[in-house]
Amino acid sequence: MTSVAVPLRSRRGTLAAAVAFARRHVLTVYSLLFFAYLMLPIGVVIAFSFNDPKGRFNYTWQGFTWKNWEQWNAIPDLQSAIQLSLLIALIASIVATLLGTLVALALVRYGFRGRAATNLLVFLPLSTPEIVLGASLLTLFLNLTSVLPIGFWTILIAHIMFCISFAVVTVKARLIGFDRHLEEAAMDLGANELTTFTKVTLPLIAPAILAALLLCFAISIDDFVVTYFNAGNRVTFPIFVWGAARVATPPQINVIGTAIFVVAVTLMLANVVFQNRRAKQA
Amino acid sequence: MSDRITRQVFLRRAAASGSVLTVPGILAACGGGSSPSSGGGTSTEAHKLAKTLHFSNWTLYIDKKGNKHPSLDQFQAKYGVHVAYAEDINDNASFFSKIQPDLSSGQSTGRDIIVMTDNSRYPSLLVKKGWVEKLDKSAIPNIKNLVPQQRHPSWDPNRDYSLPWQSGFTGIGWNEKLTEPVTTMGDLLGNKKLKGKVGLLSEFSDTLALVMAYNGDDPSKITDQTFNRAMKTIQKAVDSGQVRAFYGNDYSGPFAKGDLLATMAWSGDVVQLQADNPHLKWQLPDTGGDIWTDNMLIPKGGDAYTASVYMNFVYTPKIAAEIEDYVNYVCPVLGAKEALIKQDPAVAKNPLIFPTKDMLDNAHTIDPAALNNEKWLTAWQNLVSA
Amino acid sequence: MRVFHRKRWLTPYLLLAPGMLWLALFFLVPLGFLFYQSLESGNIDFGYAFTWAWGNYSSAIRSYRGQFERSFEYAGIATVVAFLVSYPVAYWIAFRGGRWKNLLLLFIVAPFFVTYLIRTLAWETILSDNGFVVRILHDIGVLSPGGRLLATGTAVVAGITYNFLPFMALPLYVSLEQIDQRLIEAAEDLYASRWAAFIRVTFPLSLPGVVAGTLLTFIPAAGDFINAELLGSPTNHMIGNVIESKYKELLDYPAAASMSFILMAIILAMILLYARAVGTEQLTG
Repeated sequence: MTSVAVPLRSRRGTLAAAVAFARRHVLTVYSLLFFAYLMLPIGVVIAFSFNDPKGRFNYTWQGFTWKNWEQWNAIPDLQSAIQLSLLIALIASIVATLLGTLVALALVRYGFRGRAATNLLVFLPLSTPEIVLGASLLTLFLNLTSVLPIGFWTILIAHIMFCISFAVVTVKARLIGFDRHLEEAAMDLGANELTTFTKVTLPLIAPAILAALLLCFAISIDDFVVTYFNAGNRVTFPIFVWGAARVATPPQINVIGTAIFVVAVTLMLANVVFQNRRAKQA
Repeated sequence: MSDRITRQVFLRRAAASGSVLTVPGILAACGGGSSPSSGGGTSTEAHKLAKTLHFSNWTLYIDKKGNKHPSLDQFQAKYGVHVAYAEDINDNASFFSKIQPDLSSGQSTGRDIIVMTDNSRYPSLLVKKGWVEKLDKSAIPNIKNLVPQQRHPSWDPNRDYSLPWQSGFTGIGWNEKLTEPVTTMGDLLGNKKLKGKVGLLSEFSDTLALVMAYNGDDPSKITDQTFNRAMKTIQKAVDSGQVRAFYGNDYSGPFAKGDLLATMAWSGDVVQLQADNPHLKWQLPDTGGDIWTDNMLIPKGGDAYTASVYMNFVYTPKIAAEIEDYVNYVCPVLGAKEALIKQDPAVAKNPLIFPTKDMLDNAHTIDPAALNNEKWLTAWQNLVSA
Repeated sequence: MRVFHRKRWLTPYLLLAPGMLWLALFFLVPLGFLFYQSLESGNIDFGYAFTWAWGNYSSAIRSYRGQFERSFEYAGIATVVAFLVSYPVAYWIAFRGGRWKNLLLLFIVAPFFVTYLIRTLAWETILSDNGFVVRILHDIGVLSPGGRLLATGTAVVAGITYNFLPFMALPLYVSLEQIDQRLIEAAEDLYASRWAAFIRVTFPLSLPGVVAGTLLTFIPAAGDFINAELLGSPTNHMIGNVIESKYKELLDYPAAASMSFILMAIILAMILLYARAVGTEQLTG
């Protein structure tokens, strides 16, 4: 796809290029400032993961140390909280992406009765504030406690629920944007629907599926509000932070925050490099 | 929803008393937790220690050395019971809401001991709802060490369900580097130099008690009139921009950071916060502060026997003294004072651990009836979150 | 082929079933429960009972009108600011990003990967009365000597803006990126002024992104309580704070439920109005 787009973009008048160059500077400076602003709190989080606070709070800079990284799990319950968050995010993102991709395929590829209702049902959770999602699920779960105790499964159910719509939207956007001629060509060449799907459609929407997976993972691991309502006694990482922040802010919180950040950014960087390389080869 | 829950509890309780159809049975079931018959079979398992004791407490509220709690290690050495100690209580209200779903649906909370404050409605609510196990007093001979003034709280007159963990005062803390001493509520609520840098507590009883005392009213006997007067005083301070926020335990962060010049604060906290900021001071206001007690309770489904054995253990003066030396709150255990002085003579002069008579005379307790007054609670909540 | 086609009508439903069932069970059904609960009365000591207590709704509006208004005010300001701040950047990446595009996008998404609460706590540190931001603002005279940022509405709006910025920037980028460069070039030839070309062609073509971005920012912002809790003072509390405390602290479920419904109803009404203004197709794609 990218190989089609590139020649279009490079065809630009020289005059336009000169004007664009001038404009680029204003925008570039502004954009760099924007990124600085975006990264400012992240920088603070990372820096303070190396702080050596004397008391309970990690607010003022007291001195550099590796200690918090070496003893990242020295705080009771922190390790189990992060493990729970990772597990939930992993399962929720996989299940939600699977369900969401199927829905997106149906919406884009098929005409059927109930389309509008389906679109609405996908759209509604996105337009409902998290606090309402959390509160309403809790009222449901409070009535199910005898069969489904509030804890791991209720968190998981909730996370899958709010991830589905994001997955549908992400995959759908890609499906709409792509060229159906490729599939028609495959069918003309005698491939059946299933083969066409696995050999043509799937590879083409794979980046969208991956994007949906990452998005769901990010949303799930970051979620506080819905989890806060439906976690019962279980403690995910954001809930741990919420509880801890009120009485103490151990730098280990920053360590975990930084670690998630670094891992995620590294993975995404690798993905960017990989895609760029593939684009170049293409 | 909740009416169904209540019905479930009702039925369960009725079933437990074995007499669903008889009138006395239903009355007993309606009578809330006051009937001890709903023990859930713990009596048959009595006198057998569990392998693990699940203990939920407030943050920094027990002795600590490195990552260990020496008193808990001693307990394990002596009884072979591992204590799974969780610091997962940040304030009464949110902790209660965390365990409430389990309790109301008749499930175990997974905890054997929890700690809640008597100046909130929750200890009495837990007892009233029958959501706590009875202490196994046969396992707590050391109950004799409970200080006399703590023996008969109105919500648990015979200490059937609870034992004090620590007591403490609510007073005023200030940052001596950034402000003159703030020792009166008048200063706290009105001094222009503190504008926007004053914290009040979101706990109903803490703030009301101090403000009422400042107004010259009696916090232990609240009327509509005195309540409204106190609310007006607080509202005025809020409207003028004097008050930065209403805090739970989280006042400690901004206070240590210097964003709050003065704040209502709990006694022992300030000692611990001095590690963050040595300039923090604390005192009861001239018109009087608030005194409260945190209580150990055994939530329904907890192991009453093992929990009672643990309570007995912490009511040993020597152990109580070890905990005290670290937490800086007021100890409810007789004999702990002597043991502590032997251990760490410097601490004898610490009024936070050993309050002077002046302090005790100057500390009020809140009217327990007010804690269940829905009208006042709602008005308070509206003020705090307005 | 013929056999295959005859069964084809079933395929979309089979594809839809698992996802839609999940949403029905864990989104629609809970809303039903919530609605039921919003009409209960009673108190936590004696339990709640269903009594068609419509009064919960009117008393919620009466008592918490200020918080409702503040929620929409803060969310509105934050959305507008987020839009103004991120549009130029989205434009820059889409048209000038070249092969760095993906990398730049990564930077926009990156803050996402530091837990929301930790990000907000970091702002609490940055905006602190003794922090460098307040010091600089004092020095250049923007803030009066006693002035502060933390525990003000400004801090809350700033926090909301920051936290939901990626929700704005990404859809903007996606819609800008899809615009065919040739259209813009043609427009620039046609309208002589770049600005006119932008207003008449580029911006309208990016509208789907604007719509998606504003909605994705405004909706969570209106229901947020974390920024007001950590960066604000009681005078900055939003309706989310009230719902949270009613639900989690006061255990006043009916009041919390009715407020949740009012919040949701207002948001849906605003979306409908918005949809009418910009056209429904933009909304549901």
